[in-house]
Amino acid sequence: MKIAITADGADLEAKVAQKFGISKYLVIIDLDSGDFEAVPNPGASAQRGAGIQAVMLTISKDVKTVLTGWCSPAVRHQLATNGIEVISGLSGTVRELVEKYRKGDLQKQAEAEVESAARRRRIDRGTLLQAAESSARQFASLLPILISVILLIGLFNAFVSKELIASILSGTPVLDTLWGACFGSIVAGNPINSYVIGGELLKHDVSLFAVTALIITWVTVGLVQLPAEIAALGRKFALVRNAISFVLFTGVAVLIVVVFNLIMGYLC
Amino acid sequence: MKKDRPQSSTWENRALRMLLFPAGVLVVYGILFAVMPEKASIGLKSSGNIILNMLVPLSLVFILMLALNLFLKPAQIVKFFGRGASIKGVILSAVAGIISTGPIYAWYPLLKDLREKGAANSFLAIFLGNRAVKPFLLPIMISYFGWIYVLILTVFTVLGSIVVGYFVGALVNVENNLPSRSK
Repeated sequence: MKIAITADGADLEAKVAQKFGISKYLVIIDLDSGDFEAVPNPGASAQRGAGIQAVMLTISKDVKTVLTGWCSPAVRHQLATNGIEVISGLSGTVRELVEKYRKGDLQKQAEAEVESAARRRRIDRGTLLQAAESSARQFASLLPILISVILLIGLFNAFVSKELIASILSGTPVLDTLWGACFGSIVAGNPINSYVIGGELLKHDVSLFAVTALIITWVTVGLVQLPAEIAALGRKFALVRNAISFVLFTGVAVLIVVVFNLIMGYLC
Repeated sequence: MKKDRPQSSTWENRALRMLLFPAGVLVVYGILFAVMPEKASIGLKSSGNIILNMLVPLSLVFILMLALNLFLKPAQIVKFFGRGASIKGVILSAVAGIISTGPIYAWYPLLKDLREKGAANSFLAIFLGNRAVKPFLLPIMISYFGWIYVLILTVFTVLGSIVVGYFVGALVNVENNLPSRSK
């Protein structure tokens, strides 16, 4: 049985070359007879395709195992499809590696490498499955409320006219913003619902001030979950945080629309 | 077995509460189809159109959710934001708020625990405020409002949350904030 060792020199005392494709020599050892030959690697001086030239040389020499410092996945695949095993991550002299190989030490290392790679692949697949499950759960949990909100918006579209909304909303930025902030502060839930409601309200000519205030206070202020926040984080914290959030984000909503209008005015 | 009962009943209560609203909407539709079938049909058709328009952004939402679940672990980040008032703490609590998922009720026990271990009030407030920013929902938001508006809204929400955090940190002191002592 023959093994090939990538080497910097043409003898058994040469150091193991770190890259299979561009190593200076392939030292080929016949383990049965003990004979060896050092073959210059055509890939060492190649501008392109160094790896494949080294692969062809290895195949032509009827080698069963390659010992090297590093081997690219593509070259490793080429060798594997030709029935050649690769043991990488090695250093030392050619002679030392031959001795270790004869004792079976390197084969154990290779088995451990294969097992570790398989374990990594299993963990990756497991993590992916876990993430997919978790995402599916999150996604499924937001659907019942989202679809219900959309069904209600459908009714809203069927029953409420633009004129009716215009009569409710004054059309002044300050009052519209307050209206939106109050609505957004009272209701709660996944912010996706506020986007859908806000987007549909815009189609009914509700001002962007009201819609922005609704969206921004939907999560930042939460009257519905206030008891739970008080229980978890204390009365003063919950009241102060919600009060400051209401005041500040109502102002921020106005600022957002002003900046947006300025930018759009500049762009158009 | 006895230990499992309260947990499962809490879960059942939550599930019931979650389904109450959809059930109510279905009842409303049922009544309307009986009383005003034309209006109910218009409403249903309008809802169908909204859902159709949302299919592509919703698919992107799922992909982004998957990517976030795969690469980010908000609970691990949250654990760091109690350590000292620093820019790092501000950034970490904002990032944790942004990438946190699920209902806020699920986060309260962890926040309470952090609170009792001395987490800064400002960081908790920044976390809660930044929950309004949800990267995986951006496709839906952009489909309704356009990316310029979404960008401005996102930047101002993050900055606003940090300002709220500063004020909460300044106004609420740790001693009279603990729930156990407030009783």
